[in-house]
Amino acid sequence: MRYDVIILGGGVNGAGVARDCAMRGLSVLLLEKADFGVGASGNSSGMIHGGIRYMLTDRKVTELSCRDSGYIQRIAPHLLFRIPFLIPFASRKEGITLRDRAEWYATEVYVGTYDLYQPLKRGKPSTRLSPEELYALEPALRPGLAGAVSIDEWGIDAFRLCVLNALAARALGADVRNWTEAREVLREGGKVRGVRFRDVLTGEEGEAEAPVIFNATGAWSPALARRSGVPVAMRPGKGVHLTLDRRHSNYGVICSAVDGRQMFVMPHESESIIGTTDDDYYGDPDDLEATNDEVEYLLEGAASLLPGIRRARITRAWCGLRTTIYAYGPNEDALSREHQLHDGAAHGAAGLLSLVGGKLASYRAQSEEATDRILELLGRPPVPCRTHEVPLPGGDEVPDPAALAREWPVAAPVAGRLVYRHGSRAREILQLLADDRRLGLVLCRDEAILAAEVVWCVRNELVRRLQDLRRRCRVAVGACGGVDCARIAAQLAGRELGWDEGRVRAELSDLLDQGWRERRSIADGAQLAQEELLRGATGLLEVPG
Amino acid sequence: MMVSGAPLDADVLVLGGGMAGAMAALAARAAGARTALVRRAPGATALSSGAISVAPDLGAAPDAPLTERDGPLEAARRIAATSRDHPYALAGVDRLGEALDFVARELPDLLAPRLDRARFLATPLGGAVGAALCQRSMAAGDLLAIRGRLAVAGFRSHVAFDPALVAAGLGRYAARGGPEAVALALDLPRIARGAERPHDIALALDAEGAAEALGEALRAALPAGAGAVLLPPVLGLDPRARVPERVAASAGVAIAETLSDVPSVPGVRLQRAIDARLAAAGVDVVTAAVAGARGPGETLRAGGRDVRAGSWVLATGRFVGGGIARRGVLVETALGLPVQAAEGSDAGVHLSARPAASLTARDRRAAQPLLSAGLRVDAALRPLDERGRPVHPRLFAAGAVIGGHEQATDGTGLGVAILTGWLAGRAAAGRGGA
Repeated sequence: MRYDVIILGGGVNGAGVARDCAMRGLSVLLLEKADFGVGASGNSSGMIHGGIRYMLTDRKVTELSCRDSGYIQRIAPHLLFRIPFLIPFASRKEGITLRDRAEWYATEVYVGTYDLYQPLKRGKPSTRLSPEELYALEPALRPGLAGAVSIDEWGIDAFRLCVLNALAARALGADVRNWTEAREVLREGGKVRGVRFRDVLTGEEGEAEAPVIFNATGAWSPALARRSGVPVAMRPGKGVHLTLDRRHSNYGVICSAVDGRQMFVMPHESESIIGTTDDDYYGDPDDLEATNDEVEYLLEGAASLLPGIRRARITRAWCGLRTTIYAYGPNEDALSREHQLHDGAAHGAAGLLSLVGGKLASYRAQSEEATDRILELLGRPPVPCRTHEVPLPGGDEVPDPAALAREWPVAAPVAGRLVYRHGSRAREILQLLADDRRLGLVLCRDEAILAAEVVWCVRNELVRRLQDLRRRCRVAVGACGGVDCARIAAQLAGRELGWDEGRVRAELSDLLDQGWRERRSIADGAQLAQEELLRGATGLLEVPG
Repeated sequence: MMVSGAPLDADVLVLGGGMAGAMAALAARAAGARTALVRRAPGATALSSGAISVAPDLGAAPDAPLTERDGPLEAARRIAATSRDHPYALAGVDRLGEALDFVARELPDLLAPRLDRARFLATPLGGAVGAALCQRSMAAGDLLAIRGRLAVAGFRSHVAFDPALVAAGLGRYAARGGPEAVALALDLPRIARGAERPHDIALALDAEGAAEALGEALRAALPAGAGAVLLPPVLGLDPRARVPERVAASAGVAIAETLSDVPSVPGVRLQRAIDARLAAAGVDVVTAAVAGARGPGETLRAGGRDVRAGSWVLATGRFVGGGIARRGVLVETALGLPVQAAEGSDAGVHLSARPAASLTARDRRAAQPLLSAGLRVDAALRPLDERGRPVHPRLFAAGAVIGGHEQATDGTGLGVAILTGWLAGRAAAGRGGA
């Protein structure tokens, strides 16, 4: 098989570049060793922010970030939601010092400057809040705060952003393969000529050829590089987030961790997220779990402003590896969040383009830049990029959930979640009920997952393993860990994909394993009772057959 | 307004109304003690599979015939011999058979008589689990009892139960002495549209005529040579409605339901049968949360009543039941007793403050120290303090509040509840050694 470009990695950058390349007429192969977004992308904070922190170094970057945030809203309007943040004015010591006041004033000016760019992403201007106004909005904040200033940002389901880009690429003719690992980059005469790959589910091996290989494997780059002899310098940092079972606050709250680093608590879809740690990581990227001290670090930081967090129910602790540009010296939080494209020519691998760094919110612009470079390497004339204009799948229209609920036998909140995840494609999903009303069954009442949604995702969204449904439609991700939905989802997926009963059983077990790895470090309170129930209900003890 | 009732004076007070608490109360009643039972709400028993697995034979070779597997009593003896912290080891398993016969006698309408061997019963995913006791609605599904083919029947409207998958799964046991299984899809007659959840279907089948209509539909669709029909675990919520018997009578073939996962209709049925038996046996049941309990001999305020008894049985369950909780550290919720955990060769109260991750193993299927944490008891089932001495001479514990076992990985949950409940109830009534 010959392609113009082979893209390694199905995170937001790999999928974004695959879509852009396919839109600009290139023949594309995308290889993802697991599933879309399983690395840094899906385990990011899930924000399409405007890059306020770049104002300190380069306002141009902030302007570009805000503009791109606006573009992402335009192409996937269903998938984004507003998250207003509060930056409370907290004094570190007893009594307010002059230094505190100066800091708050600086913050207000800083945020006020950011307001200049907010219109680019339909953000609302910041507001200075008096203490009374602050406590009216967030009564759970600790006493003694001197007010706050607000900033407006946007959240997103990052897993779905990845898969939508991959699906868009596929619709334009790209070959998109998840659960297919690039084993080796093939070289000849100082240039790359293709890759050898292996389907990790079927064991099928093959070779694909292309003059350009785009490496977007993130934290897995060094491993790939070892097998290909092309070093890719980066400083991987582990980021841990905690999920709470409900929206703990109305607004995002910026707080300060014990070491002074910035962190946040924010409402996200139907949950709240506490994030994030940032620590150098030297281990195996395939062996990543949150540790107790990381969980405690986050809780302590969050509780410094929202003391009630200590009684909240944590449902998951999840982590990813950011790939920051290599620098020796600075602390993790001081590393640049910029991105770089490395050309492999210097190491005898011309045509190998590796992406290091970057951020979810700017994936589209990063993809555009990378695709420009790919065209250049291929010696093709420039073709204008249109990824900011053409909607992602389902992004052409956001149907009214109430209208869908009148038309179909589903409750309005269920229709609302369906529209959130699938945009205009919610209609196609509900259309399945016309032939089979049973698919109107709500599998999960936390996440409002319809049986029809599971079936539709399996048929249309490159689902190869049951655990892929965690990322397509949040099967077994919620607080119950799959008590209600996991077995039924396994049965539905098995029927669609022709799995025998042994495979159904194995996939179900694998799905539950994924959840256990995210929960065992936070098993406490009601979540521990849920864990006991889940373990009892999911049959660890059958007689071997 | 809180209604205050008359003070309740009893010989034995049981805290907790699941299987362990009920066994303790019924055993104390049987020994002639005036017995009160205070419980908050249904717990793990009402969420259980509906059958009573006492001790699965975990040591059997995978390819050994089902008939050659150890029976529950033998398997329990092995657990007691090899696992010194298990309640079977601490309380002794010699009288386990007696305890099982006791529960079967107490719940005669619900439970099928005990066999010497385990019954091998199907799960909703097509696995088989060995159970020492089961509900009458499940007994005909024993893989070793079926003469002829087993027809696995599902309802077309009930997406949650996939008969083809269950039949294929059970087919794995054919080489070990199980029946040949075939799948069958039925329309569920006389059941309103939209009734797709297990409890809705069960409730609908309780109604007059519904079970008979299902039986007739089954008779018409029955494959040749079918010796029994296996249905999803939805055969009625009310044990008195006798849904399985009515379906069987009109179908003309033996009927059984599978075990359940959550939500569990058979679990609710088990809890209801227990509640009915407690009332009939004259146990004073108070449904209320307990706060500020101090121990045997002291007055307990519950549901607006003062309850006093010289002997207490703590049968409050573990995490689902609420008897043990983790709030940063592991705690016993009623009396603040020390909670023990065991990890590797290290065991003790000091482990209860360990972080969750260090009390769990990466492998989900492995035994998890965190999930088997609980009270440590002496041979008389009295909870022990940090130094290994009984907390109180008349305070006993029963069921999952005792640590050292985990239902999910050793399958002894309800067996422990029955054995320790029965023993603790007798001991509390003053019949410990009798």
